[in-house]
Amino acid sequence: MQNTFIARNPSVLWFLAALGLFTAIVTLMSEATGVGLISTSFVKTLGKTLCLCLIAIAMDVVWGYCGILSLGHFAFFGIGGYAIGMWLMYARTEAIVVPNLMAQTIPPTPQEISDAIGNQIFGVVGSSEFPMIWGFADSLFLQLLMVVLVPGLLALVFGWLAFRSRVTGVYLSILTQAMTLALALYLFQNDSGLRGNNGLSGLQNIPGFEDTPQATISIVFFLASAFALAAGYVFFAWIVSGKMGSVVKGIRDNEARVRFLGYHVESYKLFIFTITAIVAGIAGALYYPQAGIINPGEIAPIASIYLAVWVAIGGRGRLYGAVIGAAFVSLLSSWFTGGGAPPINLGFYTIQWTDWWLVLLGVSFVAVTLFFPKGIGGLFDYLVRKQP
Amino acid sequence: MSTLLEVSGVTVTFDGFRAINNLSVQFAEAELRAIIGPNGAGKTTFMDIVTGKTKPDEGSVIWGDKNTSLLGMSESQIAREGIGRKFQKPTVFEDQTVRQNLAMALKNPRGPFAVLMHKKTPENAARIEEIATEIGLSDQLTRTAGELSHGQKQWLEIGMLLAQDPKLLLVDEPAAGMTVEEREKTTDILRRAAETRAVVVVEHDMEFVRRLGCKVTVLHEGSVLAEGSLDHVTSNKTVVDVYLGRAHA
Repeated sequence: MQNTFIARNPSVLWFLAALGLFTAIVTLMSEATGVGLISTSFVKTLGKTLCLCLIAIAMDVVWGYCGILSLGHFAFFGIGGYAIGMWLMYARTEAIVVPNLMAQTIPPTPQEISDAIGNQIFGVVGSSEFPMIWGFADSLFLQLLMVVLVPGLLALVFGWLAFRSRVTGVYLSILTQAMTLALALYLFQNDSGLRGNNGLSGLQNIPGFEDTPQATISIVFFLASAFALAAGYVFFAWIVSGKMGSVVKGIRDNEARVRFLGYHVESYKLFIFTITAIVAGIAGALYYPQAGIINPGEIAPIASIYLAVWVAIGGRGRLYGAVIGAAFVSLLSSWFTGGGAPPINLGFYTIQWTDWWLVLLGVSFVAVTLFFPKGIGGLFDYLVRKQP
Repeated sequence: MSTLLEVSGVTVTFDGFRAINNLSVQFAEAELRAIIGPNGAGKTTFMDIVTGKTKPDEGSVIWGDKNTSLLGMSESQIAREGIGRKFQKPTVFEDQTVRQNLAMALKNPRGPFAVLMHKKTPENAARIEEIATEIGLSDQLTRTAGELSHGQKQWLEIGMLLAQDPKLLLVDEPAAGMTVEEREKTTDILRRAAETRAVVVVEHDMEFVRRLGCKVTVLHEGSVLAEGSLDHVTSNKTVVDVYLGRAHA
């Protein structure tokens, strides 16, 4: 069965080959495992980009294939990041605080240990109490479960309410955006239990691997991200191929027709919405340990809009399009905003790319939507099909 | 012959306008029926009620041997009960091949997980071939539906309905925009389908109705005005006044 699936989807093999080659090159060029031509910080950038590619294919499935323009998938990404960040921060703080307390003549009570860790983590928002949501923060396993469960449950409940009421199109987009905004605003509050606008930090330090250099950690996360992207790609390619793909694309093109064929459209939408939210959460859980910090700003609606822009530029309705769009636009974005692009002096005015990049991106988005609805991926299709 | 669908005393009001007014009509198993009537007579609203898209204010819609009420069922449940609907505008999935269109409509489990785990079977493939032959598209199976001509799209949609294996087919203006030869072929397909199930055709075109040669129900202002053979209803003076008279004026 696996054979026939791959045989029917040759692009999956091509993608896996390209990703494998890219991963091998980066590994061989990195500081930890190779000749050191690629800096550790750039390895992290590439690893993060792979995570963005993963959420982009999730977005492509929900939007490009199922026609649900969700402007909230970055919220699920952020939740995944927060879930893993809680364990990272707790375990690391515990590793620092406990030996200090143990060094005292009177051994500390569990309450004292908890207070000391709490003080370290929540002192910044004027508290030392552990909020209820940190109840499982000491367990890596449970927090990993949260990475999957929290985005999944949120998407399930939200989707069930929205789809059941037959909210579609632009109204659904607005609703998802409102959800994202509400979540971001809530997290910005100091008493949200997740350190308000400080967010969670120091996530690049992996508890238990204090002595491992960041160069090695970065390559491990890079490889993990590459593996997750490969697995996500195969998984989604499987979902959108075959009969499921037919129904999902049918829903995008004519919901009523699918309904009158006897399919319960809402269940399908809910399935796609939830499964993509879970993958977004996993992508976030891999991204933030590489970024080192997560704060509510990451969840702001603009992030989800960027996500839609990446997928649109890369080409909706083709998974490799989403990967190309996310990689290309996000890397270009860091190049432009990071001062990589030289300013252009027009004599009377100097174009500073940190200011003008967004304008360029906006214009590209409009141009792609109007003139190249198939995006960069469409160009790819065109070149492949031209060959006999 | 036993009754397949019984609509009785149904009333629907949209913003004070009575689209359907105390409508009662019955359909038997395996019959071909045409529903005609001037614009605004409530033909499409009638189909919306039967397929669950519109909920009536009053009345009952009773279905099948077990006398199940269709009111309160969702569109997809009603479709699974065995009522297929063809839209006026050809609605096929233009991005997908003819085979994929038919495969999606084939009578198989409809739940997401069943569909996800669905495997192609020789029985399904044979059934697709059979339906494609019936609608005259057996040499078009690998083509994208969007490339088909208008008439072929209409047939494909009828084929999708047949693939659902419904007990009742509701067909909205199947001949609209068709050439004379295409109309003949459409008539044949519908007549053959009506040998084993009920087929209800909503139509504007009297010539097409004549060609179907079946019992006719005339709707006017949301209720049944006349019923019987085409000659019978066209000789009815009120029918001539409200519909034919106006159409020929």
